[in-house]
Amino acid sequence: MLKDYPKAIVTKDGDSVLLRPVTAQDEQELNKFFSEIPDDEQWFLREKLDDPHILSEFLRKLDYKRIIPIIAVRETDGKIIANVRLHLSSAPCIGHVAHLRIMVHPDFRSLKIGSWMILDCVKTAMDIGLEKLFAEFISGVEDSAIGAALKLDFRHEGTLKDYIRDSKGGYRDLIIMSRDLQTRWSDF
Amino acid sequence: MKASLITNSDLVGRTEIAETNCGPIAICGTCRPALFRNLQVDQGLGHFSHYSSIIQRLEDFETIALLPGGRVTLGIEDPNIIVGYCVGSYPDSTDRWAALGDLMYELAAVEVSRNYRGCKLGEKLLGTTMNDDFFEDKIAYMCGYSWHWDLEGKGMSAAQYRSMMKHLYGKFGFREVYTNEPNITLRAENIMMIRVGLRVTPEDQMKFRHLRFGMKPIADKKPTIPAAANT
Repeated sequence: MLKDYPKAIVTKDGDSVLLRPVTAQDEQELNKFFSEIPDDEQWFLREKLDDPHILSEFLRKLDYKRIIPIIAVRETDGKIIANVRLHLSSAPCIGHVAHLRIMVHPDFRSLKIGSWMILDCVKTAMDIGLEKLFAEFISGVEDSAIGAALKLDFRHEGTLKDYIRDSKGGYRDLIIMSRDLQTRWSDF
Repeated sequence: MKASLITNSDLVGRTEIAETNCGPIAICGTCRPALFRNLQVDQGLGHFSHYSSIIQRLEDFETIALLPGGRVTLGIEDPNIIVGYCVGSYPDSTDRWAALGDLMYELAAVEVSRNYRGCKLGEKLLGTTMNDDFFEDKIAYMCGYSWHWDLEGKGMSAAQYRSMMKHLYGKFGFREVYTNEPNITLRAENIMMIRVGLRVTPEDQMKFRHLRFGMKPIADKKPTIPAAANT
């Protein structure tokens, strides 16, 4: 499943970037990555991987059957510039779907790295036989990710009004998007 | 089997008889143009309601075999029926990949007649085509477009067909790479796979990587990881 990695992409400024699965050896660079995410964005992290202890525990328990974490690494210096996680379930009732969560370093946005990583997730999800991929984005915070998902054939499934509370006490909507993965000839 | 056809070195580069569960099939590599006029195309290679074979006419095989570097491998059933094929050539001059000259080689199509599927013929056709030192100087590539796939005939979704392609080509050292080439990016199921020959230099691999994203290589951006491992 992961044997095709690393996968190379080239950003529009000419940087080579490798997409590859996270390993336990990435702890230092991942700590750096999360520490460089602005505080108002860290607030929205659900797994709090910006906490070194939680990140360390996450890496210690890496299990690609449960979560496939992919990072984008700038090839010139090994800097982690984005990460995406494909969350799978062992429960048969939802074993056909997965959820993705993505974070791109603020200095590397607008380079389409997020789009490539979402596409990579879609292809990986197809290759492991999943039927549907879900993504949840925070309105007004992750609008560029919503745009990227729409271009990759995700569709809007629904909106949870005021589901998210920001660090200043304001409320934001959660946008739920999905993408069908198993199109047949009749769908074309 | 018309032995006079498939063992004639003026007509066929090499032939092996594959014992398949569809019966014996002659796998004929490097077929010469003069061979095709003696053959017929099986009816399982043709027009169907939701699918058309990429190659249906003998003249098309001849055209490919006459191209510089053109290669045609055929699966032939007794006495002279083409039941599958694998064709390749250098990229067309209008293709993006032609910018790297004869470094690039396209495996343009592998197809098996609807009447002979499940016999592992595709694997034998591709294996015979790739079994050549010629490819160690090349980046061989294939572009799989989901709108060309016989999803109805295979009873598969596009994602399942894509996985089948990955599995088939993966047996011969191909792996998926990303590109912003518009036809590939049109659908997530589409796939570009490459096999990098043993004698292809890291510099050429890096040129190819940049070309995949529509760019010329930038000389002062040296990778810290050998490019050979990460084409």
